[in-house]
Amino acid sequence: MSMEKESVNILSAKQISIQAPLSEEWMDNPLNYSEDYVRAVDPDFKQFISAGDARRMGKLLKRALATSLSALQEGGIDNPDAIITGTGFGSIENTELFLDALVREGEQLLKPTQFMQSTHNTASSLIGIHTRCHGYNSTYSQKGFSFDSALYDAWMQFRIGRIKSALVGSHDEMSPVFSGFVRKAGHVKEGEICSEAAVSVLLAESGNAYCTLDGVRLLDTPSSDTLKEVLADMTDGGIDAVMTGKSGNSENDSWYGFLDTLLQGVPQLRYKPLFGVNFSSSATGFYAAACCLRKGSVPAVLSESGKGVECSKGILVVNVVEGRHYSFSLLKPVCGK
Amino acid sequence: MPERSVLITGCGIVSAIGLDCGQVLDSLLKVRTGVGPLKYLKTEHTEFPVGEVKLSDEEMERIMGIAPGTPTTRTALMGMIALHEALGEAKLSREDLKECGFVNGTTVGGMDKSEQYYLDFIENDSRNAYIGTHDCGSCSEMIADRFGRFKMITTISTACSSAANAIEMAADMIRLGEADIVVAGGSECITKFHLNGFNSLMILDHNQCRPFDAERAGLNLGEGAAFVVLEESGHAASRGVKVLARLSGYGNACDAFHQTASSPDGEGAYLAMSKALNEAGLKPQDIDYVNAHGTGTPNNDESESQAMKRLFGSSMPPVSSTKSMTGHTTSASGAIETVICILALRNGFIPVNYAFEHPMENGIVPNMDLNKGCRLRHVLCNSFGFGGNDSSLVISAAE
Amino acid sequence: MEEMILKLKQEIIEVLNLEDIKPEDIDNDAPLFGEGLGLDSIDALELIVLMEKNYGIKLQDPAKGKEIFKSINVMADYIQKNRTR
Repeated sequence: MSMEKESVNILSAKQISIQAPLSEEWMDNPLNYSEDYVRAVDPDFKQFISAGDARRMGKLLKRALATSLSALQEGGIDNPDAIITGTGFGSIENTELFLDALVREGEQLLKPTQFMQSTHNTASSLIGIHTRCHGYNSTYSQKGFSFDSALYDAWMQFRIGRIKSALVGSHDEMSPVFSGFVRKAGHVKEGEICSEAAVSVLLAESGNAYCTLDGVRLLDTPSSDTLKEVLADMTDGGIDAVMTGKSGNSENDSWYGFLDTLLQGVPQLRYKPLFGVNFSSSATGFYAAACCLRKGSVPAVLSESGKGVECSKGILVVNVVEGRHYSFSLLKPVCGK
Repeated sequence: MPERSVLITGCGIVSAIGLDCGQVLDSLLKVRTGVGPLKYLKTEHTEFPVGEVKLSDEEMERIMGIAPGTPTTRTALMGMIALHEALGEAKLSREDLKECGFVNGTTVGGMDKSEQYYLDFIENDSRNAYIGTHDCGSCSEMIADRFGRFKMITTISTACSSAANAIEMAADMIRLGEADIVVAGGSECITKFHLNGFNSLMILDHNQCRPFDAERAGLNLGEGAAFVVLEESGHAASRGVKVLARLSGYGNACDAFHQTASSPDGEGAYLAMSKALNEAGLKPQDIDYVNAHGTGTPNNDESESQAMKRLFGSSMPPVSSTKSMTGHTTSASGAIETVICILALRNGFIPVNYAFEHPMENGIVPNMDLNKGCRLRHVLCNSFGFGGNDSSLVISAAE
Repeated sequence: MEEMILKLKQEIIEVLNLEDIKPEDIDNDAPLFGEGLGLDSIDALELIVLMEKNYGIKLQDPAKGKEIFKSINVMADYIQKNRTR
């Protein structure tokens, strides 16, 4: 059954990141940074959230809601059948405030609002509450593999026939204190920009699409034979390019070395120099690939060779986390079907 | 689509009422609560009774053969002990795991160490190894890696329904042929962070909790871990492994009401239970027992009662909340209670809702008699999380 | 009392992050929850923390908050009578 070729439409994809928010401006005029820790560029949230509603939301929740509502609006769906979210750290700013007060001031007079937001599923449930969606609702938290896990779940929900539409997102914010922690832990490496990202993608069985999603695979520590098999299976219809999580850091980039031999000659793309690195960065890669297929071409700024690529067959998005978690998502253009 | 049915061929548990299935069964049959005064967690809030796992971190390290000083967390250690039991029962070797999925549910992850070393993280480099154990995903990796490398790993974090959702995702993977075996469950330790968080919400009972009692005054925080081995029926038959139970249906729904409160009519809970029954192809009257979410907070038990009354009407099956004995094991509770349901199915009894005395107005009256020797066919297990992440599993007797 | 009411309003605005609201916008007799300011159960918990932190009043039962937080006047009156700092 896993061999059946199935496909889901990607109706819209929205981001708030270190590039211009809720726009594809980065394709032509990317923002460049020399700092190694950059916070997201926020849009005016008032167009999405009233001041009354926003007063208890940290940055992550506001961004999650804004990208979600924006994706739903463009896709023309008010009530998705499923809301599935990834986040590595959840609302880390409020978590930090609660933790800091607990450690420095002791176990009295701690704030319930901060605790409430420390729970990772607040974004997914906030979107559920805001859109009054009683359907399937879940949250994944597996470091930089969280979006990939959420997407995989959505893919399964469609295949099992439980849903006709899904809002899939991944959201991570980064406080100054935790930006130091993630460096120390090696989650963000030398030469990488420690950043923030909120991405929402609307998937549906039908509707006007950017492109289609044609497969999602997750693996832990695959053998080279397994990698060969999976790549052969996922690229048997041909692809225009492979979207990698290469960042310029040599340890990180070495995890993608298998692509040089197994997908020899296929142009390699990279999004991390543009969007930075955080636990939701694989979602920015997926988003970027969807934007390229919608446009019909990959801008030079994404390409490793510095040359643009025409899209007619599809893009394979590959994410490797800590050299062990591998995800593969295949996106295809609508007209190429 | 050809229907692939999902069996349970292994389970493991660590909780306040026992460190393996045998001990937990014994406590359930003797109606022995694991809730009591704080012993292991160092906190100012000694006024709150808790359901602690009766082992120190060092004792758990010794059980798992982990060298002292190795960076690990209490959540990971409890998870390892429970996973060890589950894999052993299902007769899965290190080599077998390469073809199995692993889905863990947790929320606090490594917060026990983060709250201990937070200032070190900021001020010096002495505890940097523990930064890497802070997040939920690293906790799942530590648990899994102790036994080998799985085919894939991920972590679900939907607060108190995390483990239930992990089991649902695992079952979907099996039904779709993504794997023949997926091990799923959850783990969560008590931390100062969690205890203070629930205290800030003013939903901790200063006494032994009393789910569904008119005088209930909140929950007792618990901790623990549990995992179940889910296996496709044909695969289990070919391995010749013992079948413990069947996961016949499950449902996930969102209450879409409030971040920390359940709706008065329990819409999300009702939807989750209905979906689970639908997927199992069962009617409400087919359910022989409900292991309720039953936290003991005024809000949950009221809302869950309404949802159950709506679903079952006049044919209300026996209901109990085993959180009255384990404490609320938060992210792990869905798996801990799944294992408790399996024990009930296999041993023919209905767990007691410990400490219940006074029926609440318009509420359900929970089960207070073990009904030893009864034959259970289908049981429903509820797990509801903050944000209205409501999930329900139907677990059926092995045929 | 006037002064205390103004101070209390400022504290509430700050702790509940009521960005667009000024002290004069809050009617001393209007309900804080539901209709009035539209506050909810989490806000009530935040106000309980505020009362303990700023006025040394420890409230054990969250249900009691419902009566105390009826309006600014009722809340100020309760604080006046029970404050320990």
